[in-house]
Amino acid sequence: MMILVTGGSGSGKSAFAEQRVLSLGEGRRIYIATMQPYDDEGRRRVDRHRAMRAGKGFETVEQYTGLKNLSLPSGSIALLECMSNLAANEMFGEEGAGADTVSEILEGVRRIRQQVSHLVIVTNEIFSEAVSYEGDTDTYRKYLGEINQQLARMADEVCEVVYGIPVYVKGGEG
Amino acid sequence: MKMIIGGAFQGKSAFAQKEFPEIHWVSGEEISMDELMTAEGVLGFHRFIRKEMETGRDVTALAEKLIRENPEVILVSDEIGYGVVPADAFDRAYREAVGRICTQLAAFSTRVVRVVCGIGTVIR
Repeated sequence: MMILVTGGSGSGKSAFAEQRVLSLGEGRRIYIATMQPYDDEGRRRVDRHRAMRAGKGFETVEQYTGLKNLSLPSGSIALLECMSNLAANEMFGEEGAGADTVSEILEGVRRIRQQVSHLVIVTNEIFSEAVSYEGDTDTYRKYLGEINQQLARMADEVCEVVYGIPVYVKGGEG
Repeated sequence: MKMIIGGAFQGKSAFAQKEFPEIHWVSGEEISMDELMTAEGVLGFHRFIRKEMETGRDVTALAEKLIRENPEVILVSDEIGYGVVPADAFDRAYREAVGRICTQLAAFSTRVVRVVCGIGTVIR
């Protein structure tokens, strides 16, 4: 089972995704953390997520780039959070894939999917706003948009979380 | 509690006023905290949050307070979290606050309607 969870900022995506992982039954639960904290704001964000996960039996693996090099225990249940960070790291980071961001990430997801029994991926809706962007930021939006579309094609379920409410756009309980 | 949410300029207020014609509506940017706690219906609830934050007030307990003191209120709010992370720290904090508060309130609400192009879809 592969599930893609999307939604806006602060919409309760993470809480929903964690709950969805728990609903997939027993097995080693691996949390693939992609956000590299650069400052206090980032560290607070990471701390908040760690507190939310506490007691749910997750092992945390930090993978900021190079998803395809990650090796996970077979039969485990993986939660990758968040695709928007991973894409930014690949695109802008020194060790990132740069112009090959989309293909590198999709290859990584395919490999992980083969290793685990269930994969839940959290991504982000950053595509509806008044401000227009140029250059790198616009390219980043394009990359993430492409990644999201491809992931949705691979996924069994795609769910948008709206203020904590799951709105299924593909498969699911809806 | 009931919520009507959606993007800007989608006809949320008109939808709300049509759905609940008996309600006395007030505007989020014009009311005080006390007025919020006695309001029947609030248009632009996100602007109330912005106003509070701009005047330096802490809004982390707002959802709990509202649930406790005005559990029957009808709230109309913009969804503002669908863009690239803002460069400005206040904008980031505001965006996050609206998301967290509305998520807490949506969990408590008996009905949540999302309005797109003037058309409401009941999502809860």
